[in-house]
Amino acid sequence: MARTVRTGTGLSRRELLRRAAGAGAAAAGGIFQAGWAAPAAAQTTQKRDLIVAQGGDVSRFDPHMSTSSNDVRVSFNLFDNLLSRHPDGQLFPGLATQWKRTDPTTWEFKLLDGVKWHNGDPFTSDDAKFSLERTYDPAAHTLVATVFTTIDRIEAPTPASLVIHTKKPDPLLPARLAFYGGQIVPKKYLTAAGPDQFNAKPVGTGPMRFVSWVKDDKAVFEAYPQYWAGRIDVDRVVFRPIPETAARVAAVLRGEVDLITQLSPDQWDRVNQNPSTMGKGVLYAGLYVLGVNSKVKPLDNPLVKQAMSLAIDRQSIVKDLWRGRGLVPNGLIAKGDNHYDPSLPPLPYDPARAKAKLKEGNYNNEPVIIETTVGYVANDKAMSEAIAAMWKDVGVNVRVEVIEYSVRAEHNRDRSFKGLWWSDPTSTLGDPDGMMWRLLAPGGPMDYWRNPEWDKLGTDARFSIDEKFRDQAYKRMNQMALQYLPWIPVIQPSEDYGIQKYVAFTPNGNQQLDIRRFNFHMRRG
Amino acid sequence: MSRSAGALGAGPSAAVRAAWSASAAARTARRRTRVPWAVRFAAAFIGGLIAVAAAAPVVAPQNPERGSLGARLAAPTLRAADGRAHLLGTDHLGRDVLSRIIFGARVSLAIGFAAVAVGGAIGGGLGLLAGYHGGWLDEVIMTVADAQLAFPFILLAIGIIAVLGPSFRNLIIVVGLSGWVTYARVLRAQVRAVRRREFVDAIVALGGSAPRVVLRHVLPNVASTFMVIATLELARVIVLEATLSFLGLGIQPPTPSWGVMVEEGLEYLDSAWWISVFPGLVLMLTSIVVSRTGDWLRDVLDPTLRGA
Amino acid sequence: MTMRGFGAFLAYRLARTLVALWLVSSVVFVVMRLSGDPVPLLLPPDAPTSEIFRVRHDLGLDRPLAVQYAVFLQNVLHGDFGRSIHFRQGAMGVALGYLPATLELGAAAFLIAVLCALPIGILSAVRRNSPLDHGAMGFALIGQSAPTFFIGVLLILVFSLRLNLFPTSGRGGLAHLVLPAATLGAFTMASIARITRSAMLEVLRTDFVRTARAKGVAEAAVIVKHTLKNASLPIITITGLQLGTLLGGAIVTETVFAWPGMGRLAVESIYNRDYPVVQAVVFIAAVLFVVINFTLDMLYGVLDPRIREAG
Repeated sequence: MARTVRTGTGLSRRELLRRAAGAGAAAAGGIFQAGWAAPAAAQTTQKRDLIVAQGGDVSRFDPHMSTSSNDVRVSFNLFDNLLSRHPDGQLFPGLATQWKRTDPTTWEFKLLDGVKWHNGDPFTSDDAKFSLERTYDPAAHTLVATVFTTIDRIEAPTPASLVIHTKKPDPLLPARLAFYGGQIVPKKYLTAAGPDQFNAKPVGTGPMRFVSWVKDDKAVFEAYPQYWAGRIDVDRVVFRPIPETAARVAAVLRGEVDLITQLSPDQWDRVNQNPSTMGKGVLYAGLYVLGVNSKVKPLDNPLVKQAMSLAIDRQSIVKDLWRGRGLVPNGLIAKGDNHYDPSLPPLPYDPARAKAKLKEGNYNNEPVIIETTVGYVANDKAMSEAIAAMWKDVGVNVRVEVIEYSVRAEHNRDRSFKGLWWSDPTSTLGDPDGMMWRLLAPGGPMDYWRNPEWDKLGTDARFSIDEKFRDQAYKRMNQMALQYLPWIPVIQPSEDYGIQKYVAFTPNGNQQLDIRRFNFHMRRG
Repeated sequence: MSRSAGALGAGPSAAVRAAWSASAAARTARRRTRVPWAVRFAAAFIGGLIAVAAAAPVVAPQNPERGSLGARLAAPTLRAADGRAHLLGTDHLGRDVLSRIIFGARVSLAIGFAAVAVGGAIGGGLGLLAGYHGGWLDEVIMTVADAQLAFPFILLAIGIIAVLGPSFRNLIIVVGLSGWVTYARVLRAQVRAVRRREFVDAIVALGGSAPRVVLRHVLPNVASTFMVIATLELARVIVLEATLSFLGLGIQPPTPSWGVMVEEGLEYLDSAWWISVFPGLVLMLTSIVVSRTGDWLRDVLDPTLRGA
Repeated sequence: MTMRGFGAFLAYRLARTLVALWLVSSVVFVVMRLSGDPVPLLLPPDAPTSEIFRVRHDLGLDRPLAVQYAVFLQNVLHGDFGRSIHFRQGAMGVALGYLPATLELGAAAFLIAVLCALPIGILSAVRRNSPLDHGAMGFALIGQSAPTFFIGVLLILVFSLRLNLFPTSGRGGLAHLVLPAATLGAFTMASIARITRSAMLEVLRTDFVRTARAKGVAEAAVIVKHTLKNASLPIITITGLQLGTLLGGAIVTETVFAWPGMGRLAVESIYNRDYPVVQAVVFIAAVLFVVINFTLDMLYGVLDPRIREAG
């Protein structure tokens, strides 16, 4: 399903309300369908608080200073972007109501009028300009400095209009604005308070307003009554960290929390069978892959890597380890992205061919090391051990090393992994440019393998406005990547949440947890 | 330690007499105490455990590191999804719990004995030095001992392993280091007691070697005490290794270790409790049996150690 | 022994203690520095190298080890343990912030241990060789030999998951405190129960008791008073050892029950390479241990003059 970028007209307030009502009606149908199995009382609530339990604590509120999913879920509700990516994959207006490309390297945006920051200051195009420029301002030291590298300069001609000039034609700019890095921060308040104070007491335009934060305990927010898209359905939102899976699941089963993230596949049935809770999942907009340090022997040999890929029984991993909550990838492009090719078969399992390839590649029992974390990527350690056993069965001399997050972070930035490691690349733009190219490009975070033809295709495709050309380019890149395997894709899992049955919300594959009216409300009796 | 009270007089025969009197005491003790059935059971258990651990590849029904994903989280059964019997169930990767426990015994016992040896060697050596030399060396060694006791050792263990990396060798070193103080103290006290006697100076005046005399008098007395300490330490060390492995700092996957198995099963405690419970029970039983044996040895050989 | 002699003894012990504290801090310093660089943890993978250098410089981590050590010592003498890399606040402040949770756990553990062990010990001695006695001593054996983490796991399985009586983890009301405190206190409870039982048995044997009974003094009063007196010294010894190693046991218990105390903080900080916090926690723990043992030594010396003689 190719995703088209909407160069749409803005949605009127009536349209927004209609959509919200539609979502509610669909939910009501759901109640009646499942209602026979459980008492109706458990399905509605009068609660005015939403309590969310995540697998880790918030680290920063400043949206430009962290990209961890635990922070993303919070910052996308504290702040607004110019455009918003809805769970159905479409781009919708955010703080920008209209956008269009007026010439190959210029985008013009019309912004909302009358929006106020949480502290009462008016939102204007100056804030948008300041925000975007901040991300790549070297003095600001943001963690999202590479998101808007295609921008050349920004103009704010009137308080409600914005003009962005790109260095080369960039058809994906609206998609970039919808993802992390594109959250808009207040110029006046941030400049006056400084980044540390801003992080301690963040101010945004989003549907919830910051109240308090106790580290490792909870972060508390209140509904922002003047939110431009309508006040959210609850008065208070609380984010709590519960790192242990079992404890997190127990919390939702007991009714201590309303929603949990990172519901493991082994607990999916339990949460669904419990009368008051249910599981809700969405295909992750990305892949779980084994990153490969192709500079290290024997991983510099494509035949060895192909053998290793053939030796992985992905079907079994998906069916048994993940209980069916996911699918086997067919390449390095995630399902749901632009240019995903459904005609390609899922990556095959063929241990006999794997052994043959090892022989063909003159594999001489060189050690292969998987450096795995525990829980950085869901099921990472379990998958490592399972895959190691599968590789041992075809004769690969493999060893699993468990490493701390700190070591992983170090190896990641020094590009000093000993062999293979787990990565969960997110498709940030719904396009291979935002995943495969973003991470594997020259100078990118996973730059271990280079090929001139591949590199040229990636660069050209990024700046091309010819979708046909881009389609061909990414097809070819995918083909080459399956030959040289800079990544070994393993699974495209389902991002699962556990919720109380009275919670009605649609999860987003890119890990944003959207509590805005169109996407979230509590079923009230 | 008053045992050396019998070793009076100078010359080689004194040492022989000392050794004889020590063993005589032991023999008397043995004659007087029937070996209680609990201790017989303990001996059989430990012997059995060592035998099983040594013969693990033969005794274990299945490969502890290969499991069938389709048979994961299976309850104890005679026929699971992979067609095999799993008397204690399978874990989250379909591996046979019983086989993993058997191979885990290998790991725990190997590290246990090695660590006790390391601790005993270091502690004994330092204790000898401290007791014999006295003076500043004694002060330094005892201060280091104090420092180690003032310190929650497990933190140091975690820190060191974080630096050196988790491996068999590092684990043995760290766990061995955790217990040297007990041996050191005992040996130091014995050496000091003997060192002070006038006969030592007399021998030196006659041209003999003081260290040899002290050693001859000390070692036999210390032997039984060391045995008691070593047994009690073995229990403690096995538990420490399991704890470190439980925290993720000990044995690395896929090698099975009782501590690791308990940790792996935590996530499934409410559905597949056997993954954590069986290894934990075996660990607990081993600890109880070994420490009871140590208690009994102490009661028989050296009651003065009570409360040490 | 003269008062002056005792004073000299105390001063000497104090000096030894300070040296031990210094040694402990230094070892931790070296070990943590060697364990690696915390900076990559703080920044994203694609942060430029200049960023890494800048942050390292800000944190003072790019100076030679000897210089860092000197700075560290100097700061410690002023009570400054540096800024936590992870929490971005004063390290000592962070550590002290987590201390109450651990103290709460420790106090509860000790309380449970004593309150349960004393009656059990007494009853076991009174009904010697009865099933109660055997059962209680069996449990005591388990409590002393079983690994703390497994006791915790078993308690969670039985009392939280199966019987649904207590929450599985976290800190909150009284209900959250029961299982962790029972786990942490298990060893102490077992030890005290056995000591009390032995002490009780000895007391029951003495002539004094027989005479008192003959005189018709209330049996209960006799039992309690004299047993406790007899058992008090060994119990105080055990207490000293237990309280001192509280932090060690707390680390495991807090990890199993996700209890937000100082032990768990220490482990997390080691994983995060947050040196200042590790140093602060170790320092607090060592001070606590030393102070408690010092106090107990003094108590001992006062209670039992024979000990002072032996020095």
